[in-house]
Amino acid sequence: MIPVLIGVTILIFAITQLFDPYMRASLYIRDPRQAKNIEGIIRKYGLDQPVYIQYFRWLDQVLHGNLGWSQSIHMPVLDALLTHFPATAELALYAAPLTIIIGTALGKLAAVKKDTAVDHLTRIMAIIGWSLPSFWLGIMLLAIFYGGLGIFSPGRLSTWAENLVLSGKFKVYTGLYTIDAILNLNGAVLLDALSHLVLPVTTLVIINMALLMRIMRSSMLEQLNKTYVIAARARGLKWKTVIDKHATRNALISVVTISGLLTAGMLSGMVITETVFEFKGIGYWAAHAATQLDIPAVLGFALFAGMVFVVANLIVDILYAYIDPRIRLG
Amino acid sequence: MRVEEILSPNEQLRVKDLIVRFYTYEGIVKAVEKAKLNLRRGETLGIVGETGSGKSVTALTILALTPPPGRVEGGSILFRRLNGSIDDILKLSEEQLIRLRGKEISMIFQEPNAALDPLYTVGDQVAEAILSHRLPEMLDKAIESLGEEVKNGNEGFSTRLQLWAYNEMKKNPKALKLRLVKRLPIIGKMISKRLNQVVREEIIELLRLMEIPDPERVVDSYPHELSGGMQQRIVIAIALACSPLLLLADEPTTSLDVTVQAQILDLIRRLKERFGASIIYITHDMGVIAEISDRVAVMYAGNVVEVAPVKELFKNPLHPYTKALLEAIPRPGATFKSIPGTVPNLVNPPPGCRFHPRCPYAMPRCVKEVPELKRISEEHYVACHLYGGEGHGEHSGGD
Amino acid sequence: MRETPLSIVGLAIVIFFTIIAIAAPVLAPPRPGRDPYMIPRYGYSPIPKPPSPEHPFGLTQGQYDLYYGVIWGTRAAYRIGVLIIAVSALIGIVVGGVAGYYGGIIDEVLMRITDIIFAFPGLILAMALVVAFGPGLDSVTLAMVLVWWPGYARLIRGEFLRIRSEDFVEAAKAIGCSDLRVIVKHILPNAIYPLLIMASLDIGSVVLNVAALSFLGLGAPEGYADWGQLISLSRNWITGKPGDPFAYWYVYTIPGLFLFLFVMGWNLLGDALRDVMDPMIRRR
Repeated sequence: MIPVLIGVTILIFAITQLFDPYMRASLYIRDPRQAKNIEGIIRKYGLDQPVYIQYFRWLDQVLHGNLGWSQSIHMPVLDALLTHFPATAELALYAAPLTIIIGTALGKLAAVKKDTAVDHLTRIMAIIGWSLPSFWLGIMLLAIFYGGLGIFSPGRLSTWAENLVLSGKFKVYTGLYTIDAILNLNGAVLLDALSHLVLPVTTLVIINMALLMRIMRSSMLEQLNKTYVIAARARGLKWKTVIDKHATRNALISVVTISGLLTAGMLSGMVITETVFEFKGIGYWAAHAATQLDIPAVLGFALFAGMVFVVANLIVDILYAYIDPRIRLG
Repeated sequence: MRVEEILSPNEQLRVKDLIVRFYTYEGIVKAVEKAKLNLRRGETLGIVGETGSGKSVTALTILALTPPPGRVEGGSILFRRLNGSIDDILKLSEEQLIRLRGKEISMIFQEPNAALDPLYTVGDQVAEAILSHRLPEMLDKAIESLGEEVKNGNEGFSTRLQLWAYNEMKKNPKALKLRLVKRLPIIGKMISKRLNQVVREEIIELLRLMEIPDPERVVDSYPHELSGGMQQRIVIAIALACSPLLLLADEPTTSLDVTVQAQILDLIRRLKERFGASIIYITHDMGVIAEISDRVAVMYAGNVVEVAPVKELFKNPLHPYTKALLEAIPRPGATFKSIPGTVPNLVNPPPGCRFHPRCPYAMPRCVKEVPELKRISEEHYVACHLYGGEGHGEHSGGD
Repeated sequence: MRETPLSIVGLAIVIFFTIIAIAAPVLAPPRPGRDPYMIPRYGYSPIPKPPSPEHPFGLTQGQYDLYYGVIWGTRAAYRIGVLIIAVSALIGIVVGGVAGYYGGIIDEVLMRITDIIFAFPGLILAMALVVAFGPGLDSVTLAMVLVWWPGYARLIRGEFLRIRSEDFVEAAKAIGCSDLRVIVKHILPNAIYPLLIMASLDIGSVVLNVAALSFLGLGAPEGYADWGQLISLSRNWITGKPGDPFAYWYVYTIPGLFLFLFVMGWNLLGDALRDVMDPMIRRR
């Protein structure tokens, strides 16, 4: 894992090298007055040094939390990441488990009822989900529910709730409004936050469960052909018990990796979904920054995303060991 | 269904005209074609044949576990139940079959590693067999053990709770209130405590019987932590946990080391004595057949071609295939003889006798007519046009 | 392959779009002297106009002809999609082939590089690259190639590793064929099949990602015949008019439908192709 993490930093650093030192220097300044001393800034950050020295100085800055200045929203990149991350985390908090639960349940159903109408139906659902452009699905859902029915709306909170949160009366503990609402014992805000989560979470679930469904289905089918399943039946266990207790557990092992990757993908920012629903997470910030050519923001975001992915992989490996005794003790 | 007449008093199992076909993309595989077998109580019937002879499929079908895309298309499998009645296994409902499998008929498999679920301890898997079929007995033991404690003055909440629960379980194990209580966080665990202990003791005894050293440690092991021989002992333990009437052994020693093979074979023999089960032992190894069988059935390409007591078969093989099998056993000093040709494609099997393309004695009749299993002498049956004999498709199990 | 109705549907869809792409100049004649991929405008008002005989799919925000846009958008999708896949595949074959054939340190290094690229979600890395290169379809193409080639490299490497130990390769080397000859004439023809399947499955994903980048405003400029770009133009109109929430349905529904069906058609086809090529699945 460590070499890959280092590699991630190297890649991002390599992208910064596409710009000349003046451009790169300007990324560290916060207001125009500092621009007069650009030479000083270049020297300060070592931007005129040989490449390998630059890398270490850049890395040093990164490790100290200095990822540059995001001019599109006027705050340091690191602050922007931290401010926007709770929204992304909240979206992932609901979308990831739902995707995993629904995806595995449908995959299992499709495998157990192989070649029946249910199987074909889920297969079509999977293909549709896999092929749907997430931004189009989001827009269609908004058109129907927001435009047409007026039930849901984009953003994280309605205006009144947002005002309440920004005022001192609502204590923000985590930045995840649903959790904070519970902690504040405020049912109205909780409901409002949840209603704003419905559409984006639905979009994410529809699109992501497709892959999970297919993998669970083939994993289940593989298990159902195994000898231990026959042996379990030969012991006199009911078919349902054999499926639930034995086959499903074994099948889920293969699903762990993809579930982990899925969750990692969500936590690293759902650029499209957040943009469509104006859900101000890190993906939204990054997309906005990209159109403004706010390079430190985009690169900081990419660095963060890469890190999250690598860490998620590690967690998946640990989870594997926990679930599969063959790896745990071997 | 009046089947009492059809099985004679010392017959345990009779397979009659069994037809099993597999519906695959490549075509319909006629895997088992009108197979006939019978098994007497307490005997070991060896079934010998090459891969593709249909022997494994037959065994699985005896448990009504024909693997898909296989389908039973005809025939009957008559079995004498524990309570004396006779059932056609192929006509039983799934609910009835669940009570049969693991309890009256058990199976052990070729690859013990594959037959065990890698995610559960071996103890858990043996427990499954015991709890499925011997629950009342285990409950009684638990109640008795708890009763001892009550006598000694220990009447704590846990003890009373368990006594209540076990008595309820005896009446109706599926009762709703029991299911609900089991799901409660701490209480649920409490309820199963004594029962689990009792079952665990039972399992350890069973493992000891299987000559597994250090059973207290093994019972908590996972399959992959055990050697092939140990795993097979576990599989046998699971099969014998409920003292079945019939044990189906599908090449249980084939994938084990030669020395371990001998041990397991020996174990099976001794266990058979102790448990009094009848065994159907499937293998392609003539040596093993000679060692373990009382009678032997030879299968080729889905047909039973010869049945005889083991000594008779080796001394006087009648069917050309049997002869070839015996000649093919490698002997030091002799040249190695193999059977010419290959096992037929069962999607389009040869017409008439399926062995005729490879048979040195083939006659025109062999291509046209499928030979029936005929009785040649006291206990010796063969399906071959070379022999006359009494032409009835049935062969009784001896009167 | 022709067994499943789904694969037939996929094939039909793909043929449909291919015809549209080829026949674009006929179906929607471009204005002489202008880049055919820039959609003709019929005014400057931001308010979309509904379908009419002159404009069968209506006019989207900025008065761009939607019919023209989606027709040429098909062509553009193929153009950029095939280009990205072809170049990625080429790079992937070379890199993967070298890694798989020579093994050792070269393999290690090359695979580490692919690992690093795989560590990023594709869209995010592409975004970062496009911003660095400067927005536009050229940047998008370049960024996508850089993100996509590792997938092919891994695949080819795996195939090479599998095939190079086969007997006929040993034989070829034994009679003195040069390395290049062995690779090109012997290993490559066998290794190529999985890649072809992957490539056909990929075109849907590639086009989706390109559309996403255009939607975000990083790819095709406004007025370009690009489905993603057209969908982004439709965002303001999802609420419709007071009293008529779906007044501008054509503006978001039509380009999205084209994109969705295109991707689905190719996915169905790719799926069917994979089922055919994978003998393990066929058995039941």
